[in-house]
Amino acid sequence: MSASLAPECNDAKERYDSCFLKWYSEKYLRGKGTTDECAGLFKEYKQCLTTALKDRGIDKMLEEAREDHKENDTLNMRRK
Amino acid sequence: MVKFYESTFTYDYSFPAVTLAYFLRYPNPYSTHVLSTDVISRAIDGAGRLQTTRIHRKSSRLPPAVLKLLPKSVSGNVSGGRSESYILETSTIDVKEGWMWTESKNLDWTGILSVIEKQEYQRQIPVDEGDDFSVGAGTTGVVTTVMFKSRLGDRLRARATRKGEAAVADADDEPKKGFLANWSKTGIQRSIEAIASRKTENQLGKSKEGMMVVLERLRSGGLVGVLEGMREDRKSMYGQEGK
Repeated sequence: MSASLAPECNDAKERYDSCFLKWYSEKYLRGKGTTDECAGLFKEYKQCLTTALKDRGIDKMLEEAREDHKENDTLNMRRK
Repeated sequence: MVKFYESTFTYDYSFPAVTLAYFLRYPNPYSTHVLSTDVISRAIDGAGRLQTTRIHRKSSRLPPAVLKLLPKSVSGNVSGGRSESYILETSTIDVKEGWMWTESKNLDWTGILSVIEKQEYQRQIPVDEGDDFSVGAGTTGVVTTVMFKSRLGDRLRARATRKGEAAVADADDEPKKGFLANWSKTGIQRSIEAIASRKTENQLGKSKEGMMVVLERLRSGGLVGVLEGMREDRKSMYGQEGK
């Protein structure tokens, strides 16, 4: 599995990634995945990651970029 | 925005396999510059589409030609031409309709160069591929568009104008003022964009090669095969397993 940008989050990420891949390949791709079964593990991973992003000042870069994305998403969804 | 590069390609693999390979494409032997990948958010929307936002950390080596163009205030935090940058990647997958839309862009260095890569993957055989996503049932087309824009020229010009005003009283600064003021905005942008275009074409080839490696692992060994390959790649990248 790919590494996390924060080494302290690697374990939580690995647990979440494994769960997601199983769900994605066995359920979502077969049209059976309507709910996210890995939400609990994602919450744990996200908690660790959020702190790491803040410590490294990446959260501010993300905020700016996601403001742009909101507009793009609206356009792209309309296109489909 | 300047449209710079567009290419189409067909993977000889099913749409589900290609989407899986997309999520699993780092690390691979062609991606040694990708240091980490994290999921920022993931959700299924009302239409059953899977939306994912990820952040990749990459090490990049700035070409000497670009470094030479940068003002000291910018190039100061680059040591030995090496620096790290973050890429934001968003993807939307509609497994029923058989398409995946992705967008990647750099989060930092945007004052120098913004690169936005968009990809549209499309299932090419509109039949049910069944459960067997690990073998190449059907093909998947992808259209890649890369757009980029350099804003560096705007900044340098603003700087030169300010300097020029300050230099009026100081004759020693005269030659410098003339040099900077004549440095044309479009000229700098073109230089940066030309260098970026060469690098991008090279990089697009590598990312396709990386996808092919992951897809082949998926075909021959399934999900387990991909994960084993990743472990090997990570070991050779960091010289140890795990962290």
